[in-house]
Amino acid sequence: MRAVAVATALAAAPGCCSAAAAAAPAPVSAWYMYGSSASDLKSYAYAHGCDFASGQPETSLRILLLDFGAARKLSSSTWGAVDFSNTMFSNADILAALKRAADGYHDCHVRGAVDIVYGNSNYHLSDSGMSTTDAWYAGYHQSERSEDLHEYQSSHGYDSQTSDAAADMEPSWDGRSMTKQLVNGDQGQGWALYYDYGSADGCPQSGNDGACNNGWSVSDVGYVSFHGLALPLPEIYYTANANQWTVVRRWWDANHGDDYFFEGVTASTGVGLTPAAAWNTLNSLNAGLVDSELVCIGC
Amino acid sequence: MLSRKVGAAAVAALALGAAGGLAVAAAVGGSPNVPVPPDKGAALGRLASVATTDSNTEPASTASFEPQPIPGRMLGPEVPVPVSPSMLDAQNGWLASDGKSLVAVYAGAAGNDPSVGRVVIVRQDLVAGRQTVQTVDAAETGNLTIASAPLGTSAETLVQTATIRLRTADGRALTLDLATDGLGSG
Repeated sequence: MRAVAVATALAAAPGCCSAAAAAAPAPVSAWYMYGSSASDLKSYAYAHGCDFASGQPETSLRILLLDFGAARKLSSSTWGAVDFSNTMFSNADILAALKRAADGYHDCHVRGAVDIVYGNSNYHLSDSGMSTTDAWYAGYHQSERSEDLHEYQSSHGYDSQTSDAAADMEPSWDGRSMTKQLVNGDQGQGWALYYDYGSADGCPQSGNDGACNNGWSVSDVGYVSFHGLALPLPEIYYTANANQWTVVRRWWDANHGDDYFFEGVTASTGVGLTPAAAWNTLNSLNAGLVDSELVCIGC
Repeated sequence: MLSRKVGAAAVAALALGAAGGLAVAAAVGGSPNVPVPPDKGAALGRLASVATTDSNTEPASTASFEPQPIPGRMLGPEVPVPVSPSMLDAQNGWLASDGKSLVAVYAGAAGNDPSVGRVVIVRQDLVAGRQTVQTVDAAETGNLTIASAPLGTSAETLVQTATIRLRTADGRALTLDLATDGLGSG
């Protein structure tokens, strides 16, 4: 009876349950963060927030992804990231930059809403000397900073904004046990959704299970993309990527009581699939299970 | 398609009236209802509560932008690569910035075909906040490695026009002209 009531209520909700749209959403930009100082990082983040807001294509909520580099433990009590210029930034520095991104979005706001996302990656966590416990705290503090950002947004009347976390989790970049701790730590803190904008590198392109790169399996990619607060926002650069993530989705559905869905797609310029084709390709293989989000690096 | 915002709003509204433990259904993309996992429900509901206007109508204080250049530097394996291995199996990279424009070049092989040498060029307009990503393929050269590039403060003025010297897997020399993104023989 309750299930029927739920379905009925959904059917009555505005915009609900229409036929699946085949068209990809307009892409929104994402950025890699390079900075030689915390001050620069803030300046660049402000500019990214403003640019994002100025070009926001419609009135829905869209993801503003800022990739601050590889998660790192900087000292016994400090976590942060090493960015793509090889500069270490503490989470305090990163939070300050995220706040400036929020300022930039506010100052340049035209339409819609935004989810400002603290992104990092699992690049060489082990090689940097981090333990699995350190990686857990990396995810924990990433979520904590995301919640801090939301407090800033709320206290400044930035009602069109919220915040979450994300990681570019690549099987080739570190082991599965280490990488899973990012997701677990985020869940332990409990605030932030944890978007996985990584890959299913080396995973099979058919079936519903198998081995991937670097000792990972399809189940491990499923874990880091859908366990706890994780949601998949996978890199779809080639048709092979869409095939691989479809296998991940099949594995999850075959082994869990809840159903896997995609929060959207991460695309790029200069690869085999245009951003629109990337979204459409994943959606064609997972009909109606790909949300209307298209984050584009280079757009 | 049912947007995340509308779908999550439906989830949030129904969760208020649903008994504990009931898997609340939300349509994703207009498909048959896909139950939202309980551990994600609250966070997804939060997304649905975001407004589209700010109650604060005042601009944030704007700090002065004083660009700090990044002297030309090589990027080794200890430096995070922003590009996925599915796009580029990176060997090394190079970076320079004059504080207003930044260019980073990553060399290696195509992620989907190791026989194809590939260079990925990331450019940023740091003032306007824009970024482009360009890939340049070198046909079947195998891995490309950056052999030499402008280093130090002198490189800061070359972000638009530097020439990067590359080496193929079999030791041949190539050049990348950043003015045109063209590859030529070394």
